[in-house]
This record gives sequence, C-alpha cells and structure tokens, in this order.
Amino acid sequence: MENKELEQKLRQEAGALLEQGKVDYIVGYEAGSLKFSTTPLITRDRDEVSRLVINPFIVNNLANFLTGLEGKVGIVVKGCDSRSIVSLIQDNKVSRDNVVILGVPCPGLIDLGKIEKLLGKERDELDDVVREGDRVVVTAGGESSEFSPAQVLFDSCLGCELPTPQEYDLLLGEATAPLKEKTASQAKIAELKDMTPGERWEFWKGEFSNCIRCYACRNVCPACFCNRCFVEESSPQWVQPAPRWQDNLLFQAVRNIHVAGRCTDCGACERACPVNIPLRSLSREMYDIVGELFQFKPGMDKDADPLMTHYEQEEAEDLIR
Amino acid sequence: MSQDSDWEPKLLGFCCRWCSYAGADLAGTSRQKYPANIRIIRIPCSGRIDPLFILKALRLGFDGVLVSGCHPGDCHYQTGNYRARRKMAITKKFLEYIGVEPERVQASWVSASEGGKFTQVVSEVTEDLRKIGPNRLFEDGE
Repeated sequence: MENKELEQKLRQEAGALLEQGKVDYIVGYEAGSLKFSTTPLITRDRDEVSRLVINPFIVNNLANFLTGLEGKVGIVVKGCDSRSIVSLIQDNKVSRDNVVILGVPCPGLIDLGKIEKLLGKERDELDDVVREGDRVVVTAGGESSEFSPAQVLFDSCLGCELPTPQEYDLLLGEATAPLKEKTASQAKIAELKDMTPGERWEFWKGEFSNCIRCYACRNVCPACFCNRCFVEESSPQWVQPAPRWQDNLLFQAVRNIHVAGRCTDCGACERACPVNIPLRSLSREMYDIVGELFQFKPGMDKDADPLMTHYEQEEAEDLIR
Repeated sequence: MSQDSDWEPKLLGFCCRWCSYAGADLAGTSRQKYPANIRIIRIPCSGRIDPLFILKALRLGFDGVLVSGCHPGDCHYQTGNYRARRKMAITKKFLEYIGVEPERVQASWVSASEGGKFTQVVSEVTEDLRKIGPNRLFEDGE
C-alpha cells in the first residue's frame, strides 16, 4: 500500500477511535519543521488527526509517551516500537487494556545523513526521497539516483528482526519481511571487537569526550522510564553535572546496563544524539549479550517475565568464583 | 613511575550480610590472614548490587570490585542471589566489551561457614589485580 493510502486509512481509523470514545488520545507522527522530518503528534482533537503522516522518516519511538499519558491511548507503532510496548507491559508500566495499537509494517527508516554523504548534498537540496519496492529513489536538482536499502537505511533497521508489529489491534498495510542485513547492521561492533580492550576503551573515551550530556538518548528511550534517574540524584551524587568524558561514559554504560532486557534495539537513542555518538554499538551489543546468556529477546512476549525478575537455577555460573 | 613500585591494589568488596560478610568475619575470628587490600561494604543481599555501584567504584579509582553472595539456593530472601547473578553476568560481559579488563569486576559465592574460601577468593582477586596493574581507566591521560 502506498504511504498516501496508508495515511488516509490511519486518519480515518484514528478519527473513529476518538469519535467513538475508544481512546482519549491519539499518538502518532506529523510533519516536522525540517524538510522530510517528522515530529510526534499527541492529540485529543478529532480534527487534528488529519495531520497524521506515515513515511520512511518516522524516527521516534512513540512507546516513550505511553508512560506519561493517563487514560486510553491509540498509538501508531512500527515493529520495533511494538516491541517496546510489549516490554512496558511486561514491566507493568502499561496495561494492555489501555492501549489501542495501530500497527504499521515498516520496511526500514531512511537515514538522510547517509544520503547526504552519498550524494554530497544537503537535505534541503533533495527534492524527493521515496521507497519503491527494494530501491530508494532520490531526486535532487532534476536528477534521480537509486540506492539499495542497505546503503541508505539506518543501521538499526538493517538488522531489524520484527519490521511488522506482532502485537497490535489494527494492522495498517501488508506485512513486510526483515532485511536480514545483520552484518552491515553491526559492522561497527565487529570492528570494535577486533580491537584490544585498551583500544576499545580509548575509542569510547574519544566518543564520550564529545558528549554534552543533553540526555536526549535517555529522554527518547521508552525503556528509560524511571521517575528519577540516578544522574539527577544529589545524595549521593553518582555523576558530576559537568559533562566530562568520565561521567558521560559512566552514565551511558550504566544506562545500558539498566535497560538490558528492555532495549529492543530500535536505535532511537543513536538517532537522537546531537553529536553522533554510535550509541547503538553499545545497546545492540547488550541486546546480544542478554540473548546469548539468557536466550532472552526483549519485547517479544507480553506474558513473559522481565529479564531481571526471572532466573533459572543454573545459569551463568562460569562467570562466578 | 616511582609511585608504582609501592602500589598496592585497592579492592572494593560488596558482601551479603547473611553469608559472605559473616564468612569474612569467620576468616578473621579464625585468625586467617587475607590481603588487607579489600575494603568491605556490607549489603543486605547480593541482589542489592546495582551495576552503578561497580562503575562508580572504578570511577573513584578502585582497582577492582568483588561482589560476594550466598551460594545458589541459599539466599536468605530466596532469590536475591539469582538476580545478582544475572546482573553480574551482563555487567561483566558489557564492561569487557567497552574495554574494562574482566579481572576488575568479579563475583563469588561464599557462605557464612567458608572463612577459608573468603580468604582464598580475596587473595586470588588481589593477585589478579596485581597482575593487570593500577586502574587508569578514568584518568585523563595527559
């Protein structure tokens, strides 16, 4: 189904949900202020649903808003976002009865940064970027260029295991298959694993020297739902407020450990980072660690125990004296 | 550096108050000698450990951290040590990935009757740390 058709259907359904009083809010995407960009739309107004959009630039994970809204919420989700909702249900942060999930199969989000690099053009110089089957067609200055998804999708999308939401009330459009570009999706991690521990530490030290600790990564993350984050504690003060690399790295390392088993590798943190730290190379590795050690896949089964409340009598003993 | 010649590893121990802390006590009352390199913080259960404590200890300059709790099946609160085990497992693997030497973060099961094992674990961990040298992870480098 074309995006335009999808949008029409979505607006219709979302409007009906509000009209019939089945939901108090609709959470979706609308066009953003920058070219191609989208921004979250949270509304109770029937007329505003006409602003809803679906396109390959819906980068936010809207599950993030569920923990802050009271009442029933109709929410637009991609595959990864639906996993985040399942994870929130596992943690009792969200009741399944209070969400109406409007699933949108997602063939992958387009990384404008990659296109800018490939074409040597700014996003404002691009006229159109569309997904046509297994090609991405970019028109700029009257010329059109074609790329494969592996060239221009976000790394997180290349390795996506669940492009079509598994948990939904209504699925808009047809299911889409995973791209299975796992190697490309984790190229950075493979590169890091080839280094010595000392080199890896130096790498992260360098990356986190750029961090301004804006907490965008934390704030866009549906798995980071604590009312009070340890970084804001003042007694004891776990991290200094000044963004020095030491505390930046400590913050991000602890954040990743805290969301282990909840992080679905949606990649929202990396997309939100204003200084382009490859955050997914931390979160994806943690995703694989919990998979390897405990055969746990975050956000797949809403009736499963959360990772950290479950245990087996015998596991991980080789790591303990 | 001249300071390094008399450098001694500084080890922070988090011991469960029901077992390992009592194990450390037993080692002491039995007049066993274990390295004075360890500083012990008593925690109510190994399940109380937050990986944040471990990172913070390394950030403050401890050369290593040892978390010690009851053997599987022996937790005073039934399941605390199983949860600790999951947390320690992912923390160890993750820290290793970002570049922390695996020797710096260790875990052990020591019961209240295992004064000898406590002595042995602390000695071994201290030796491990001596081998890998001082923790310079969070130093500025200039």
